[in-house]
Amino acid sequence: MMSRPSVLSNSNNFACFYHDPGLGGMGYRTGHNQHQHQQLAFRTLAGQAPDVPAAAAAAFTTSRHRTPRSTFAKMEYDHGDDELQQLQKLSNEYAPEPEGPLVSERISSSAITTEYANGDPVYQTKTAALPNKYSHYRTCRGDGHCGWRAVAFSYFEALQRLGDTTKFAEEEARLRSFSNIFSAIGHAPDVYEDFAEETYDLLRQTSTASDDGAALLASFNDYGTSMSVITHLKLLTSAWIQTHSDQYSPYILPQTVREYCQRSIETANCEIENVGMSALVDILVKPAGFALEILYLDRSSGDEVNEYRFDPTDQHGVALPNAMTLRLLYRPGHYDILYKFEDVPQPKPQPPLMVNLATGRFEEHMHERPGWHDLGGPDFGVPGMSFASPGQVPWSYNPLYDFSAAPGPTLQQAIPVPAYAPLSVAAPRAELMPQPARQDMQVGIPTIQHQLSMIDRVSPFRPSKFELETNYSSGTLYHTQFVTSAFKNSHFNTAHFNNPDFQPEEWDPLKEYEQSERPRRSESS
Amino acid sequence: MSNAGKRIGKELNECTTDPPAGCKVSLKHEDNLHEWDVYLEAPSNSVYAGGHFHLTLSLPKDYPFKPPVLSFVTKIWHPNVTNDGKGSMCLGMLRPDAWKPPNKIKAVLEMVRHLLLEPNVEDPVEAQVADQYKRDKPAFDKQVKEWVRKYAQKKGAE
Repeated sequence: MMSRPSVLSNSNNFACFYHDPGLGGMGYRTGHNQHQHQQLAFRTLAGQAPDVPAAAAAAFTTSRHRTPRSTFAKMEYDHGDDELQQLQKLSNEYAPEPEGPLVSERISSSAITTEYANGDPVYQTKTAALPNKYSHYRTCRGDGHCGWRAVAFSYFEALQRLGDTTKFAEEEARLRSFSNIFSAIGHAPDVYEDFAEETYDLLRQTSTASDDGAALLASFNDYGTSMSVITHLKLLTSAWIQTHSDQYSPYILPQTVREYCQRSIETANCEIENVGMSALVDILVKPAGFALEILYLDRSSGDEVNEYRFDPTDQHGVALPNAMTLRLLYRPGHYDILYKFEDVPQPKPQPPLMVNLATGRFEEHMHERPGWHDLGGPDFGVPGMSFASPGQVPWSYNPLYDFSAAPGPTLQQAIPVPAYAPLSVAAPRAELMPQPARQDMQVGIPTIQHQLSMIDRVSPFRPSKFELETNYSSGTLYHTQFVTSAFKNSHFNTAHFNNPDFQPEEWDPLKEYEQSERPRRSESS
Repeated sequence: MSNAGKRIGKELNECTTDPPAGCKVSLKHEDNLHEWDVYLEAPSNSVYAGGHFHLTLSLPKDYPFKPPVLSFVTKIWHPNVTNDGKGSMCLGMLRPDAWKPPNKIKAVLEMVRHLLLEPNVEDPVEAQVADQYKRDKPAFDKQVKEWVRKYAQKKGAE
């Protein structure tokens, strides 16, 4: 048995990552679970799955070498019933070591279409239609926990998408409150608390994460964290089913709820079944205000995947409108995560704060050198049209360079930073002046603040002529030592980073006071 | 890994400060939490009475999400323990498809002790031994006692 997985992984790597329907039950643990899947399926699957795994098993028992996938279909019809049954048994017991990430990156769902391009015609049709509605998906490793993991990950991801820290805290409090159902079925806290702590930790981490889900994905790809969260959810689901037995017992006859939970929910190595899924949705997804959609990709008739939806309801049992929806793709025995185009976070618009800062800077220079504002006018305030970016405005025009504060960090401050680019702009500057940069940063910021407050303008529009004139002289007198821009821009200026005695200029409130006084005197004289 | 370490440390502490009846637990090597030595005193009311058994408990890397592996180092005549020199046992809660992460090692050891009182002949690994137990209990008892005398006597160091 152990030697076979290598055959599988050699002949078709894809099959290890995705549960290729051409290989049927090979990709994941089927065993008794598959039976229950069929019995309990909301859409009947009976009579569809068994023949495929048999063919796959045949490929490995009769010929242990590379077998092109197309031959599976032929072999399906070459065996008698007895043999098929025996092969089915072998296939059911067969479990290759699953590979691939526990939860993958989000990828285009056209990959699913490609996966089935040479497969069964029903699958071909359905998967061809899939990307039109569902643009992206994530794979979950088929290690027997994919359903649990898919729901858990989608739940965390949806919370992060909401981006509401109080919601995270609410959810933690809500999950903690389930200690009562644990005690109702006789679980002491030490049974579940280690696993539950991981869930709470992850909720807290995710609530403060500022990335777009990278940390969450990494946590879910950490086996220990991922399994702890899953184990916590399994224990919760089990306790929920046992404390609400009237709701679930009809679906698991002839077992009692306790037997069922012990055998099919709590054990480490069991895949989620429909009763478990429905209970998990009841305890985790719906109360959080999320809906869950399961898209069934199977051999039932129709041109599209079948949809089954769980809606969150209010206290009167009425479905809540506009609930955020988690979507799972179900292929017999395996779950992945699906997304509609609108579920995928789009790049954020540029933060307006930085744009304002840029206009502020712009005005400041307007009054420093009143002559040059004709060069660019209000374009400088437009996001993305960075007047400080070296590519667009020649350095000789750059007002920042004439400004007496150290050039590096102020430049960095002034750029209207697009959300995705700050590093590329800032990095070269940092290289040029690694040591003083930090110091300057501290100096540069108060300078700007001071200048802004001096101008005292709220409007982001181009400054009027009169505004410029009132403060006109204070700007020029600010530069006491190096009046010509040619000198200031040269390395003879000690404030220039190329100067061997480089000393960034510092803003001194007392000096500033003197300076702003002086112009008045000179004006009056 | 750190999770597993934390959990194992907790359980080791539990098993050493408040050991299950008749058990003595220690780490095989100080620096490896995953390999345990277990010395088990057979219950006095069992047919194995007087037997002093050495077992090893090996905790997989993914513990507690994968079951621990328990094996008898001391030879034992028992339907649920292989008689192949490995002394492995795999039943009940130790089966990969029946293992639950919240299960504790303490519970595992209690289960083993219980198996000495009452072998599980419905789920044997040694069919021959189970058969003997069912058909000829006196012969089974005799064989057990002989093996206890031969292999499972307490040595000075333990």
